[in-house]
Amino acid sequence: MKRRALLGAIGSGSALGVAGCLTRDDGGDEEGDGTLTVVTYESMIDTEDSAGPWLKERFEDEFDAELEWKQLPDGGINHYVQRADRDAGIDADVYLGLNVDDLVRVDDQLDDGALFRELDRDRLERADRVRDEFALGDPHGRTLTYDMGYISLVYDETEVAEPASLEDLTEPEYENTLLAQNAQKADSGQAFLLWTIDAFGEDGYLDYWQRLEDNGVRVLDGWSESYSGAYMEGERSMVVSYSTDQVYANRFDYDFSRHQVAFPDDQGYANPEGMAIFEGAGDVDLAYDFFDFVLSSEAQAEIATRNVQYPAVADEHVDLDEEFDEYAHTPEEMVSFGYDDLRGNLDGWVEDWAQEFAGQ
Amino acid sequence: MSLADRSVVDRLSAGAVSAWLERHALPLAALGTAAVLVVVLYLPVGLVFVEALLEDGSPTLGHVAEVLTDPFYFGVLADVFADPLAIGAHLGSLAGWLTAVSIAPTLAYPVPGVDLPVPWLAVDAPPVRKGLFGFTAYQAALSTVASVAIGLPAAAVLANYEFRGRRTLRSLTILPFVLPGIMVAVGFYAMFGRTGTLNTLFGAVGLGPFAFVETSPLAIVILAHAFYNAPLVARLTVSAWESVDARTVETARSLGASPRRAFRDVVVPQLVPAVLTGALLTFIFTFMTFPIVLALGGLQLATVEVWIYDRVQRLAYGEAASLAILETILSLGLTYAYLRYESAQTGFSQAPSPPPREALFPDVRTVLSPRRLAVLGYGLVALVLFVGPLASLVVGSFTDGSGFTLRNYAFLLERQLEGASFQTRPVPAIRNSLLFGLATLAVAVPMGVVISVLTVRAGRSGRLVDTLAMLPLAVSGVVFGIGLLQGLVFGIPLPGGWRLQVTGAVAIVAAHAVAAYPFVTRNVSPLLATLDPAMVESARALGASRTRALLDVELPLVASGIVAGAAFAFAVSIGEFSSTVILASGSEHYTMPVAVERYLGRRSGPAIAMGTLLLAVTAASFVVIDRVGGRYEL
Repeated sequence: MKRRALLGAIGSGSALGVAGCLTRDDGGDEEGDGTLTVVTYESMIDTEDSAGPWLKERFEDEFDAELEWKQLPDGGINHYVQRADRDAGIDADVYLGLNVDDLVRVDDQLDDGALFRELDRDRLERADRVRDEFALGDPHGRTLTYDMGYISLVYDETEVAEPASLEDLTEPEYENTLLAQNAQKADSGQAFLLWTIDAFGEDGYLDYWQRLEDNGVRVLDGWSESYSGAYMEGERSMVVSYSTDQVYANRFDYDFSRHQVAFPDDQGYANPEGMAIFEGAGDVDLAYDFFDFVLSSEAQAEIATRNVQYPAVADEHVDLDEEFDEYAHTPEEMVSFGYDDLRGNLDGWVEDWAQEFAGQ
Repeated sequence: MSLADRSVVDRLSAGAVSAWLERHALPLAALGTAAVLVVVLYLPVGLVFVEALLEDGSPTLGHVAEVLTDPFYFGVLADVFADPLAIGAHLGSLAGWLTAVSIAPTLAYPVPGVDLPVPWLAVDAPPVRKGLFGFTAYQAALSTVASVAIGLPAAAVLANYEFRGRRTLRSLTILPFVLPGIMVAVGFYAMFGRTGTLNTLFGAVGLGPFAFVETSPLAIVILAHAFYNAPLVARLTVSAWESVDARTVETARSLGASPRRAFRDVVVPQLVPAVLTGALLTFIFTFMTFPIVLALGGLQLATVEVWIYDRVQRLAYGEAASLAILETILSLGLTYAYLRYESAQTGFSQAPSPPPREALFPDVRTVLSPRRLAVLGYGLVALVLFVGPLASLVVGSFTDGSGFTLRNYAFLLERQLEGASFQTRPVPAIRNSLLFGLATLAVAVPMGVVISVLTVRAGRSGRLVDTLAMLPLAVSGVVFGIGLLQGLVFGIPLPGGWRLQVTGAVAIVAAHAVAAYPFVTRNVSPLLATLDPAMVESARALGASRTRALLDVELPLVASGIVAGAAFAFAVSIGEFSSTVILASGSEHYTMPVAVERYLGRRSGPAIAMGTLLLAVTAASFVVIDRVGGRYEL
């Protein structure tokens, strides 16, 4: 009898189980309930020393609200583009960690100015503190920069000499030394790719990468995987990373000989990071409060040291430790592609690069 | 109507309902199964394919043609697809290539980092652009060759020698096949990585460290594939070998055939089908490989499956779907060939007089005979290949580059105790894996049994049902995951503002159940087919309904098959990665394999520790199932 009941219940039961999930869109937005959900990349929140936990604690104290972190899924911005495209609902209010290319992808895939709200700068008392040259250049005014990083090379001076130019990396001297990241998956990898496009042009960059490949460059998926994993475990002697590397090395008392920063051609690729409010955000007021808080002097200093990036605000608005100034290196020349340069090109560039690497 | 009467009516109607239910239970269950399959298998996969065949709402073959004629995907074949009728030109370029091939003696240095010249015939051929599909087929072919080469000696030893633990070893050959792919990949990393166990051993004698994974990732991937599939080849071949009738060999010998000749003309023809089946299955599985390449190979070894995953992450659905269609056509063709072939083979029944087995080590003198030494040598290789990665996983979780440490587990524990809700923690991963596994059992076992009953009893139309029901073996997990995500998780809009939507957890269980039920069917069908129909007919003649007969007569007699099928279903669910990683993206429904992959993005230690936990849970599940009993067949 039991068995029969089971057998009868399965098919129909499981079918009902699936069919029972009919939902109705009633279009009701969540009202602000004093909780701000912020999505950000892993290294912002993955340890006690990261900027995330500090921001959460201070913000909650100051505003009597709750801040809930969410980790960016593997697909990055695409995860949200896809959900917005299908009206599947987005469970976050604020995105912390946008790059220019993310905005380009949003506008290429959805509509111009989609996914995030246009910011009303009058509601922010500290918006003007952000350096103009760090702005993401979004024509739709959706983002505010909160920190800045320069992509550079980090190398071990006991194993290789400082490469003077990108061209040097294809020389026999640097055979099997360089670790880079997959431009499809990692910000740093994409920034390095764009840097090579700036240096060798749209027609020459694939040829340069071909030479890099012949010289044994290794491409791993993510920045943490290549830096914390392969580089720190001694697999290679040079890695594409950030120019603030020594700030990090100093904090953990690492031997500086493995944390030398190189700026090939005296350049570094500038990668400002921005924050934006999702269109469907529940508590917009609280999101604005959060933005102002992030731009406060104290928060800027904490983000700089804990997230190991440059502050986004002008010098008079932030008071950094001497250590930071001593160990953070700035390239003489900043390379970067703006919103307009990337629009309509980015996917093709990255695609061609990936095909170069995967094509057997 | 008095109260008493009413209760009689109630009872009668209740009786009538249950009698009706009992009479129609089988068709109802079949309908239910069909409904589940349509909603969670055909609809999602269909949605993915529609994506490739529609351009702004009108049907087109443009996307597929673009992929076919793109040298990146099809290498030199792309020109052929682009202009199939220009036969002269294609033959001309082939001839041009052939004339450019030269062969010359040279010295090769096969061991990386060691200055050891080996004379070698270098074939210098101009490179042929294989394209992504070509490369995927190439690595699958290499993996198949490796699996057959490693599997056949094992089959020979298991079929011809008697030694302690032979039966255990024979039943263990099923194990690698159901181990989670991502775990095996991490195990290989723990073995061959720069701080892996091999380098530790080499370091102890003053060699190395060698960068195995870095210098020859393809070799490591192929070894990992052989780890998976060589036991499968061995298993199928041993079954065939044991069903050879010893008397036929004796007859051949008495007619004057030498032992070698008798083996070649009598035994080999009976083994070939099994070896071919194993090779074909291996090729299908490795063609659709995903977690192993994802974790070990990186971008430079991308296969079609990895590329589809990347396209999806870049939101290039049209292209992803075109690739998925082509991949599915290929694997469906191969799967169909396998099913046709399988049905043409008579089952591997135990022969009336199986071939005799000699003792492996009867006395000390024979141990030193060349044949015995070869067996010992092979045993050593097999030990390294099969035990090495798993042992390395366990060892690696307790060591770092410098010696014994509990740091990796401390990390997991810390994550568990202090981790925030957005972080991947081990206990929820274990809990999710077990819950999804049990839920998968509840769905997949009944589905598999119903499909078995239908195919065995349905005669001619049974073949069609069988083929339709075997579709999951041929559709890649990634494609299936995308379909479920876009179809059911995001919701299908229906008229009137309604949406058909399922939660991530339901979608994951659906994906696991669909991936798992073919294994139930595979285990139950052969047993059902051998039952004497007279038993069911007697029960029916004595007044039992069809369902009653099934429940009380047939199922108890095939219980061992059901248990074995359940074991597989559970293992498949625990190890499933491809669909789960897509469906669990950005949610709390992560399972153990997904947790391993998420930890992989940093230092390898925590991932190796998580992999060890996964190994422990998988092993425990098998022990439990083994206690319940059951015979494993594939």
